[in-house]
Amino acid sequence: MAGVTLPGNLLAMIARGVSANVASRDAALRPSLMRAVGSAVSPDGATVTVYLARSQSRQLVQDIASTGHLAVVFSEPATHCTVQLKARRASLRDATEADRPLLARYLASMEHEIGRVGHPPAIARAMLAYRLEDLVAVSFQAEQAFEQTPGPLAGRTIGGSA
Amino acid sequence: MSGPALADIRACLEGVIPAVLATCDAGGVPNVAYISQVFHVDDRHVALSFQFFNKTRQNILANPRATVLLIDPRTAGYFRLHIRYLRTESAGPLFERMAAQLAGIASHTGMEKVFRLLGSDVYEVEAIENVPGEPLPPPPARAGQLAALRLASERLARSTTLGDALNAVLATLNDALGMRHALILMHDEPGQRLYTVASSGYPTSGVGSEIRVGQGVIGVAARERTPVRIMHMTNAALYSQAMRSSFERDQPDLEPVTDIPYPGLAQPHSQMAVPILSAGRLLGVVFVESPQDLQFGYEDEDALVAIAGHLGATIDLLQSCAEAEPEPGTAVAPAGSRGATLQMRRFRANDSVFLDDQYLIKGVAGAILWKLASDHVQQGRTEFSNRELRLDPSLGLPDVTDNLEARLLLLQRRLQEHGPHLRIEKTGRGRFRLAVARPLALAEA
Repeated sequence: MAGVTLPGNLLAMIARGVSANVASRDAALRPSLMRAVGSAVSPDGATVTVYLARSQSRQLVQDIASTGHLAVVFSEPATHCTVQLKARRASLRDATEADRPLLARYLASMEHEIGRVGHPPAIARAMLAYRLEDLVAVSFQAEQAFEQTPGPLAGRTIGGSA
Repeated sequence: MSGPALADIRACLEGVIPAVLATCDAGGVPNVAYISQVFHVDDRHVALSFQFFNKTRQNILANPRATVLLIDPRTAGYFRLHIRYLRTESAGPLFERMAAQLAGIASHTGMEKVFRLLGSDVYEVEAIENVPGEPLPPPPARAGQLAALRLASERLARSTTLGDALNAVLATLNDALGMRHALILMHDEPGQRLYTVASSGYPTSGVGSEIRVGQGVIGVAARERTPVRIMHMTNAALYSQAMRSSFERDQPDLEPVTDIPYPGLAQPHSQMAVPILSAGRLLGVVFVESPQDLQFGYEDEDALVAIAGHLGATIDLLQSCAEAEPEPGTAVAPAGSRGATLQMRRFRANDSVFLDDQYLIKGVAGAILWKLASDHVQQGRTEFSNRELRLDPSLGLPDVTDNLEARLLLLQRRLQEHGPHLRIEKTGRGRFRLAVARPLALAEA
């Protein structure tokens, strides 16, 4: 399956930093799930990275590593603008000091986004608290993208083949 | 089941921060989506809102295992629920409770046109994981709810009349639970409606105003015999009580207006209605509302359900011992009537009664007043008993399940609001007096 090219507005939303939740499944098809504490998009828009805290996502990280399958939903809380990306291959690496500025930018964006729907910054900071040595960076190229903003177009496939 | 109990994480199930749901299709492709509601059913089950025929829906029908990520809106602590799909309910108490909550969520998030509950998907909770993290300290537990229940219980136990019992509940809601706007309505089963007998916190009492069973938050709670709670302003007409609804459409044309306006808030931001049940029967509804969002949490619902249960038992108990003792007490000679004549007019079609051309009451309470006034004018009687009303075939009291005490209280309060010239005064258990200060003239219309 070829990768998809996401429309610029969606790439911009993901790059800016909105809510990101990651799912996979084990060999028995039991779903695993956790919120990411950070996300990023490569300059060419082809590779998406989400950061998971191992201590919160043991099953999920193990499932991604062993099956390659993952689904990530990105959503802007204030507008409900939502997109889901899926892939069957992902690369995992430990986060490093080089990831810090990006994680800090993501947190700042999320404080703003969650603030728009009335939650104080302390809630965003608690939701996204992490220790760098606990983080794993999961990078993938989206093979499928789906419109998931609630409404008549929800479920529609997005983007052309790259 | 390992980890915390569902009862420990009810704060996560209020729909404040949307939950996330992971499912997987038969081919092994995972799917992750937001879900508006994860609703507490009981200690082993939750219900998720089914709103769209989407991938999530297809997946759980093919593979019933799912995982939910919840967040506590107060602490940002995470919980994961491992759940298994059992069934879908598209009607009944659970469905109606979720539909009402969803209407509030939809209005609050600008999704009124999009969110519509198609079904309540019931899942068994197989495990609850407390996800490690750095949550904020939880806010101090709200003290006082148990004390409020004790106060309501003590006050109800001291009540000797229906009026006392209703006042006991309203006073407790107001001064112990901070519920400033409240209504208590009784069920008129044959008429499929509820009529207001007591209220607090409104410019007008609204005593005598009526709501159809099924109409608004109050009517849905009555129809489904279940608590209904909405934590946001909703524009959904289904949950609005404030609609004027004339019950006279199926009656012959009546000139005079016989609607008492519903007294409630025009724009409630939080609403909760709890049925008053006793021995499995619906006696009425206790309703509270607030001009602010997020006023009534699940613990408030717990408290109100407990108070309504006690009120139901009290009402039944008072009714069963409200029959008069055999010999009348020594009646104080009532003061004679004097002054200008008070005109009482009855419309037979719906037993509506007007005093000096002002609408007073209709239905069973109207028929009761007409009987009392007729006996007074024809025989000079002023002393009456509940028992004779119960035995009087002209009143159309359906049977013992009709709450005569409530009808009399409604009549007594409507007369008080009308003026000082005609009063009903309790004179003992199951006995009362018609106090007539001006000569009565009766006319049939």
